[in-house]
Amino acid sequence: MAERNDPGATANERTVVITRVFDAPRTLVFKAWTDAAHLARWWGPKGFTNPVCEVDARPGGGLRIVMRAPDGAEHPMTGVFREVIAPERLVFTNIAVDGEGKPLLEGLTTVTFAEHDGVKTKLTLESRAVGLVAYAARMLEGMEAGWTQSIDRLGEHVARVHAG
Amino acid sequence: MSTDRLSTTFAALADPTRRAILARLALGEASVGELAEPFDMSLPAVSKHLKVLERAGLIARGREAQWRPSRLEVGPLKDIADWLEHYRRFWEQSLDRLGVYLRELKAKEEKKRGRKK
Repeated sequence: MAERNDPGATANERTVVITRVFDAPRTLVFKAWTDAAHLARWWGPKGFTNPVCEVDARPGGGLRIVMRAPDGAEHPMTGVFREVIAPERLVFTNIAVDGEGKPLLEGLTTVTFAEHDGVKTKLTLESRAVGLVAYAARMLEGMEAGWTQSIDRLGEHVARVHAG
Repeated sequence: MSTDRLSTTFAALADPTRRAILARLALGEASVGELAEPFDMSLPAVSKHLKVLERAGLIARGREAQWRPSRLEVGPLKDIADWLEHYRRFWEQSLDRLGVYLRELKAKEEKKRGRKK
């Protein structure tokens, strides 16, 4: 993940947390994430396929997936595994890039696999979006606060003009 | 928003000086001179940044030749922030598909076992 040295881009992170219970043993669910043949079958939104899917599931190992949308557009992404603890935990970076390899969205994703009711698996995914997407979201929030103040000031100004 | 358009916006936002200019403009419109002041930059250098921001649709500039105030345009920022929603959907739909796939694997496994009996 790119280093950020200005506060505008480090303080803003947006996190997605999703929990699911799968009716499958933990080793199998873990394998579905770390074996390319499995991963290619489910990764991505509905209707997408993954013509390129390379997974080197060990710390420092790479992840490279090219998703193909139903309209034929290809969306490449890359990442690096930070932690691989079978069959419990995966931590990896995931960076969506444009056609020229420039990052569009950077994420840091942690997936934990816990045994549930004996034969099921409870999966918890936590993915933090960092970089410019999070920056844009934060900037908009800041501006909304600013606008509210401006509108208040405008109201005062109009009141003064009327009074004068 | 198309990926091309998004790339242009991202490229414009990738520079910390341009982000600082936007942060200043979030407070209200400003002239090139006003924008140059806090950055210890020449007017032409600031103008260059403003051109990049204008091309990306992140700012609009007034017509008056002398003053030409810049003001923030929020559309592209909103488009980018919307990607967070896409990002959540990406994970939700992926996990939906993982669930379907695991059910398929299990059904296959049970069929195999059934045949063995």
